[in-house]
Amino acid sequence: MLSRLTGALLLASALAGATVAAHHSFAVFFDDSKNIEVRGTVTDFRFTNPHGVITITGARTSGGAPETWRAETNAPTILTRRGWSATSLKKGDVITIEGWPSRDGKNYIRMRRVLRADGTVLGAPAAAPGTDPTGEKR
Amino acid sequence: MRRTVAVLVALLLTASAGAAQQKVPELSGYWGPGRGVKPDPERVKSLPPNTVVLNDAGAVEFPVNEYGGLKVKPSALVAAKIWKPEDDMSISRVCQPPSIVYAMQGPFPMEIHQATQLIVLKLEYYDMVRLVFMDGRSHPEKVPHSKVGHSIGRWDGSTLVVDTVKISESTITNNGLNHSDRVHVVERFWLGPDGRTLFGLQEFEDPDVLDNRGARFMAWDRVPGEFVLPYECDPSFALNYSSETRKP
Repeated sequence: MLSRLTGALLLASALAGATVAAHHSFAVFFDDSKNIEVRGTVTDFRFTNPHGVITITGARTSGGAPETWRAETNAPTILTRRGWSATSLKKGDVITIEGWPSRDGKNYIRMRRVLRADGTVLGAPAAAPGTDPTGEKR
Repeated sequence: MRRTVAVLVALLLTASAGAAQQKVPELSGYWGPGRGVKPDPERVKSLPPNTVVLNDAGAVEFPVNEYGGLKVKPSALVAAKIWKPEDDMSISRVCQPPSIVYAMQGPFPMEIHQATQLIVLKLEYYDMVRLVFMDGRSHPEKVPHSKVGHSIGRWDGSTLVVDTVKISESTITNNGLNHSDRVHVVERFWLGPDGRTLFGLQEFEDPDVLDNRGARFMAWDRVPGEFVLPYECDPSFALNYSSETRKP
């Protein structure tokens, strides 16, 4: 009886706290031990916090059929200091996105850097998570 | 004779006041993105017993089920274990700011506006603004809880000491572990020898969630002429994640 009551109290406490967690975590969502590279055509680019999102129709450079991929960027406030802006990408741009894959297998990437069709890097590239003082998370 | 003594005492008091004022550093300005730093051994020694130093300041984050040595009480651990990261990727939750427990250690800049009786910390992260009352007041009983809490400060030599309570429940490590609204945070801020680096030590304890205390060492770099940018969180960001279909 006591253990049931204790369990109920623990669960109630847990559920009570389950609604207050905030922003998502890099380490929880993305696998920084792996790299992914996707090349395609930009279909949408949003540049708002907490993260920008690049949507492309493309495929892994290692092969595969074209699909819709989304790449989450650093916070645009951070990217702005690296030379990015809301007009850095437009529909139809051909780009390659390098980054870290989503842990859950979705076509969802955390962007490390973006290369234009001519090979130039958009803005200043970021370092690996945990080593960049300007941050890879949030 | 009396007049001479009075004049000397007055001069001494003036000199002492001047010396005391000289010890208070000028922290006003823009401080570039926060980062983790190697803990200062002397300051680690001075921490109260049962304190663990977390190494997740700056860009580092803990994966699921890792809390950096914090001893989590059973009820809080149950909550942390059932937390699902995708739950945070919803319109209603993705723009909820964390409390200062997590926000201060993040890789974002801040502005400090320092006056004698009030110091303002303007964080870029989630547009958070902290008021640190330096006028000797106590924490009011009835002040509502918020993500920034209620802060009072004092100078300990050249170190700014900030004591904060009334912080709303929020994440500690951004992986499911929350502090309660009884968390108590004490922060110390001091300048490096060249005046261009601001160091911070955050200590927190929570009688409802933790059996030990947590601490983080942080640093920011002074960049003259810069300002924090508006954060203006856009909750529709969450739709991008939720619209993805899981691959087989």
